Amino acid sequence: MSFLAPLFFVALAGLAIPVLLHLTQKEKKEVVYFPSLMFVRKIPYQASRRRRIQHWFLLMLRLGALALIILAFARPLLTRPDAPVALGQGAREVVVLLDTSYSMGYGPRWAAATEAARGVVSRLGASDRASVVTFGSGTEILLRNTSEKSALNSAIASAKPGASATRYAPALKVAGSLLAESQLPRREVVLISDFQRSGWRGQEGTALPAGATLTPVPIQGTATQANLSVTAVSLQRSRFANQERVTVTAGITNRSESAVSNQPVTLEAGGLQVSSKTFSVDGGASTSVSFDPVTISGRNYKGTVRLGADALAADNAFHFVVSPSEPVRVTLVDRDSSATGLYLAQALAIGDSPKFESVTRQPENLSDDDLRRTSLVVLNDTPVSTPLARRLLKFVDQGGGMLVAAGARATWPRDVDLLPASIGNPVDRTRGEPARVGGVEYGHPVFETFRAPRSGDFLAVRVYGYRNLGPVIGAQVLARFDAGAPAVLERRVGAGRVLMWASTLDQTWTDLPIRPLFLPFIHRAATHLVAYVPSQPWSTVGQILDTSRAGAHKGQSVPTLVLTPSGTRLPVSGDGTEVIELAEQGFYELRGDANASSDVAVVASNVDPAEADLTPMDPGDVVAASTGESQSDAVQTAAAPQTPESRERSQRLWWYLLCLGAALLAAETFVSNRLKV
Amino acid sequence: MDPKVLARIGNLELVSKAVVDGFINGLHKAPYFGASVDFAEHRGYVPGDDIRRMDWRVWARTDRYYIKEYEAESNMNFNVLLDVSKSMDYGGKGIKKIDYARIIAACLTSLVSHQRDRVGMAAFDSDIVEYVPPSAKHMETVLHVLDRLKPGRPGSLKEPLHKLAEHYGRRGILVLISDFYEDPETVIEAVKPLRFRGNDIMVIHVLDKDELDFGFADASPFEDLETGEQVPVVPDSLRKEYRAMVQAHIAALTQSFSKVGVDYAMFDTSQPLDYVLFRYLSARSRRLRKR
Repeated sequence: MSFLAPLFFVALAGLAIPVLLHLTQKEKKEVVYFPSLMFVRKIPYQASRRRRIQHWFLLMLRLGALALIILAFARPLLTRPDAPVALGQGAREVVVLLDTSYSMGYGPRWAAATEAARGVVSRLGASDRASVVTFGSGTEILLRNTSEKSALNSAIASAKPGASATRYAPALKVAGSLLAESQLPRREVVLISDFQRSGWRGQEGTALPAGATLTPVPIQGTATQANLSVTAVSLQRSRFANQERVTVTAGITNRSESAVSNQPVTLEAGGLQVSSKTFSVDGGASTSVSFDPVTISGRNYKGTVRLGADALAADNAFHFVVSPSEPVRVTLVDRDSSATGLYLAQALAIGDSPKFESVTRQPENLSDDDLRRTSLVVLNDTPVSTPLARRLLKFVDQGGGMLVAAGARATWPRDVDLLPASIGNPVDRTRGEPARVGGVEYGHPVFETFRAPRSGDFLAVRVYGYRNLGPVIGAQVLARFDAGAPAVLERRVGAGRVLMWASTLDQTWTDLPIRPLFLPFIHRAATHLVAYVPSQPWSTVGQILDTSRAGAHKGQSVPTLVLTPSGTRLPVSGDGTEVIELAEQGFYELRGDANASSDVAVVASNVDPAEADLTPMDPGDVVAASTGESQSDAVQTAAAPQTPESRERSQRLWWYLLCLGAALLAAETFVSNRLKV
Repeated sequence: MDPKVLARIGNLELVSKAVVDGFINGLHKAPYFGASVDFAEHRGYVPGDDIRRMDWRVWARTDRYYIKEYEAESNMNFNVLLDVSKSMDYGGKGIKKIDYARIIAACLTSLVSHQRDRVGMAAFDSDIVEYVPPSAKHMETVLHVLDRLKPGRPGSLKEPLHKLAEHYGRRGILVLISDFYEDPETVIEAVKPLRFRGNDIMVIHVLDKDELDFGFADASPFEDLETGEQVPVVPDSLRKEYRAMVQAHIAALTQSFSKVGVDYAMFDTSQPLDYVLFRYLSARSRRLRKR
């Protein structure tokens, strides 16, 4: 062993520094100004004696760390026979990124892309390695780090355009991680794509490792072939002869520059073609086509708007699912049905999304059949007997919602634990100032809509009387009266919820029913209590399908199987907690039982219409963002021939010594902190 | 951004711009307290809707009533309540707490002012020291007042905050920045009137690293910045207990604020400001979505 810089050993004299520090450090008596002595105990002031070395282990650690660092700077060199070093340009690590977004299906683009990929493979040297990665909105590594050209060609042949949109950033990140793992001297990414502008958003974090190059292979050609796409549909519901119908209007965009005329567009409903129209549209323009109304014959009614064949087939079909609108059934339990429930019934009668269908029952007439058919029970200032309370507990526990208005007549049996609060004595505020509602939890779904200014102010509501409510454990107070008493409370019980308002829902005790916020308050409360979620007629490829949302309708089973548009069966856990990424275009059918023919739910999946816009970008933008160089500068840097100096650099003993020294310093920090030195 | 570097710049407008720009670039889609002026969609009119939000152009074209819905309403009142008691004038090895709080206040004000919301501020110790009423044109006034604030007197929370509650009758966002050297019960009592008026309150607890770690080495007399009281202290023997008491204080504040629905976060002055803003506002955004 020899040393390249032995003069650094002079620094060994510095080893004396820690010892001197230990022995000479003296106590200080300057006043320390501190923000507050709130936590500082009064402790008798103790003078410390002149310090002695108490922690020999710590001292040894410090000395050892310094010695190792000095040794590292002296550059020890182990003399041994040189290992053979490869000369010339060195082996390459190549990552082939192949765009499989659906726009690659335009005309002959896919054939050109696979040909370009095979060309890259054919140019690989004997010691080169390559990976094949396909990408759309996500990425998939088909083959990793191999020099077998036949396997690489097979991987390229197995790829095909999917239904997703183009996103370059995830693909470049995967390529970067593959290159970062490689030990080969030359690293290169070959990006084969149609370079659509819509796929690039100038994302940060796409930088490739230092020294890596990016070679873009644009597959664009001429985009003069006709390309029409269905970008969206609008569904207008109506009723005719006691049946619900939907009028479908399709938005169609001509992505090519030349005008088209008398093109056919068809509407398929329930698997059958029900209507056909023709349309004309100029180049680069859009139009809309309305079809005759179609009767919605059942739940999960599948519809498709389909164009004739053109150069890009994937965007020619647009799928959607409609179901007959199902009103939310509300049962108003009221002793005096004619007057007190008027405001409530009127408020529920307004609106279509969702539509509420209310019936009024007196407490003694509320049957089990009523509870089976209803989603929400409103106890409007009503005394409740113990048997009825027990039935309501069972109803809520199974997922029902309940709204309780605690007026002067409201009672609840003590032995049934369902309400968010016990009902106390009435409070009369008819003299002096009426009570006001404040402290509202605007983050709660019921009050969220009133969060913004001028969206309804509960402070304006006058309350002349209310019941003192004593919240139970597990209840959440959503609003309070000015005296601090709870005004609105919520409690979850089993699968259902109970919401309680401490006053009336008519004008007996409050002017709430004649305030503008009464209607939205009742609607928000009702939709929240029945967990109403408006249905989406379609989703986009790449979105997540939450199977727990399916089967949310009352009486439906939980899906255990998902049938994809290509016919693949994906089992999901019985509790419906799994999520599935929509990867195909078409209808995903969620089934409760593998043998059952009826679907729990159907989700229509469409391609991202933005991908149909084939406007190209400058590939140099991607190169510049990924490598920090313009495309013209992205020349491959040849590995420099190794010199005696570089061979010396490969002897990295000094590096290990430095790391060991740093590790000892870290250990010293840890130990000294533990010892409070 | 390193708070020490920002403190050396000295120009609050420049500092807040530097931090806010960095924060927005890092966040891509800033939470902005859930507010924006973005148009979301039309929906059919139902009785009870504010007719001022009706889209008359659509009515003229279709003969149907439609309401314009926005992601959220703008023009929210945003006020910073800044503690300028003498204890805030402490900075161990880095930036002083008052400067750190000043920059946070300036950044949040700048962030909100970009949305054209009304901004205002109040500074207090044992009484109200400065008060700038909220206005869409008060951004520069707030920065100017923040810039020349100097801690001088001992502080308390209850009296000034109760007085300020009278000023903030209209619902808005209040950001309270202090070192909270008071019992948690007293702090909550001080904040309650602000909360009851419907204000959305964010509480930022600012402490120096020394106050959290008590990393002093030598036995010395310690002097309280507010009271001037001196206590001889041997830090080695006190450190463990001191840290436990501070952590218990923070835990009690966290729990108490959570109970009354107030967002609370503690930051030490060594943390980068854009990171602090990102972490706090995104956590707050997540919590708002969960509610």
